[in-house]
Amino acid sequence: MLKKILFRESTNFQFIFATAGALIGLTALLLSLQLIMDVRSFHSNEEELFGPNTVVIQKKVTKLTTIGMNSTEFTEKDIDELRSKEFITDVAPFQSADYKVGISEVQGDGLPHFYADMFFQAIPDRFMDVNVDWHWKDTNDYIPIVLPRDFIMIINYGFAQSQGMNQISEELLMAARLTIHINGNGKQKKMIGRVVGFSQKISSILVPESFLKYSNGIYGNNSIKNPSRVFITTKDDSYGELEDLMEQMNLDINKSAIDVAKIKTIVAVVIGIFGIASLLIMLLSLMGFVQYSQLVLSKASYEISTLLRIGYSIKSIVYTFIKQLSITFGIITILSVAIMFCVKIFFVNTWLDENGINIEGSSLTIAIIVALICFVFFIVANYLNIKKTVYKLGKS
Amino acid sequence: MMLEFKNVMPFPLKEYKHDDMSVWKNGFSLQFPQKVLLNASSGKGKSTFVSTVYGIRKDYSGTILLDNRPVSELNLDEWVELRRTKLSVIFQDLQLFPSLTAWENLILKNDLTQHKTTDEIEEMLDKLGILDKKHQLCGTLSLGQQQRVAIIRSLLQPFQLLLMDEPFSHLDEENSRIALELINQETDFCKAGYVLTSLGSYHGFNYDCELKL
Repeated sequence: MLKKILFRESTNFQFIFATAGALIGLTALLLSLQLIMDVRSFHSNEEELFGPNTVVIQKKVTKLTTIGMNSTEFTEKDIDELRSKEFITDVAPFQSADYKVGISEVQGDGLPHFYADMFFQAIPDRFMDVNVDWHWKDTNDYIPIVLPRDFIMIINYGFAQSQGMNQISEELLMAARLTIHINGNGKQKKMIGRVVGFSQKISSILVPESFLKYSNGIYGNNSIKNPSRVFITTKDDSYGELEDLMEQMNLDINKSAIDVAKIKTIVAVVIGIFGIASLLIMLLSLMGFVQYSQLVLSKASYEISTLLRIGYSIKSIVYTFIKQLSITFGIITILSVAIMFCVKIFFVNTWLDENGINIEGSSLTIAIIVALICFVFFIVANYLNIKKTVYKLGKS
Repeated sequence: MMLEFKNVMPFPLKEYKHDDMSVWKNGFSLQFPQKVLLNASSGKGKSTFVSTVYGIRKDYSGTILLDNRPVSELNLDEWVELRRTKLSVIFQDLQLFPSLTAWENLILKNDLTQHKTTDEIEEMLDKLGILDKKHQLCGTLSLGQQQRVAIIRSLLQPFQLLLMDEPFSHLDEENSRIALELINQETDFCKAGYVLTSLGSYHGFNYDCELKL
């Protein structure tokens, strides 16, 4: 009966507008949230679209470098400067082997006879982009080695063909042992090495940091110089700063790493704008609903003050309003989640599939929690407003 | 219940010249149950009296005490509680809900207090001659019929003091008499008292005490 009295004067027009606004706002908010989470879960070449962004930087080799007039080394000062940058969260110089390295086949392992001079470098484990057993102790049978993926491409599609050599598959290369010739500090040693993986991102020949430390200690010529390549981790959407830094320190950065940073920045900005816009729509629709309940309250002001005069408590009147709004907004919330889910399943996912993009998809839990938070926020905002107004009517 | 007026003067009546006997000047103290007539001509503040005691108007100086407690200290929740359990009222403008039927208006009150059974309420309607109007919207009833609905509504709760602001103004002598009889019956049943304001007709009313404005 209370409901009949209090909502008697409410206009359907206002109600439909407020409801539609809230429905659109909440759906847009949930949809953009879900998209952000989906995109976050998107991986490309083991590189996350969001999250830490690691790039290798080196100084550009110029004519002056070639004639020894300037150096591509990073001095301690340079590295300190990198560390002090706000957008760089991690800095790790490449370590280099301080001795000569040569490599040849192990007879009987299926590789043709060859010998090549080469080098070793090491980086901290946290920067490794290949998932391999990367532990080395001096009791190990072999030294794990990671090669750049481009390396085997050059061998197979360039070198091997021109030299009339057989092409080597990744599997064969990984199955075969290699003889490592180490020569430095007046000592020589042959060790066994094995290729355990191929890196997409790092164009260097990598060995575990522990091995490099150990071998430098024994065979090092003490000619260790400053590193010439440095790993840095940058924050999301810091492409602008990275570009400035390249300019300033005359840096050379892998083009694709830069492109990824650029795309990340653009995607983050676009989704951010979408998110902010839907948050604004949401707030607007909340205001619409507060306005609607204000209108209902003022139209029912005679009824409210009379109810208070015949002994109805403020609580029961506020409860009647809130119950009604909770039902309405509860339906809006459930509908929003349902619409968001349908749009995701039938439109976004289909569209992504058609374009060959596979997204694992993130769970709905967070979207549902956010919807519930919106629901609670909405009810609390309206509750406070209604209570205040009813009190005012009761006192006048 | 004890009702006390100490130097109470509503602001709008300040400039008015009041009788020497007026409660606005002298104050009073009444212990209920008893039946009180508040007799005054138009414009002397009968409705103001009812509204101030009922806590709707606060634009006065002085102190009104209910059971020795200044009513100015009561908050809205306490007023609501008081209006449900101790204090009942018939407004001069009735304050019914025109969009509800006569029956709904009464049930709305009785749902809150659970004071009477539906049979008892129907009996009251019958007694006042409006049982056949039970399901008619209040807005479409005549003033006299609405007044009888308002009278019944005021009796659908426990009370110690019933304030009546010209409750019979739209009723003929016979209906007034029947209504007063019903009111007396319920008041005695509740061991309560009332204040009845009137423009001068007493409807054969035997009052215990008379107040003047």
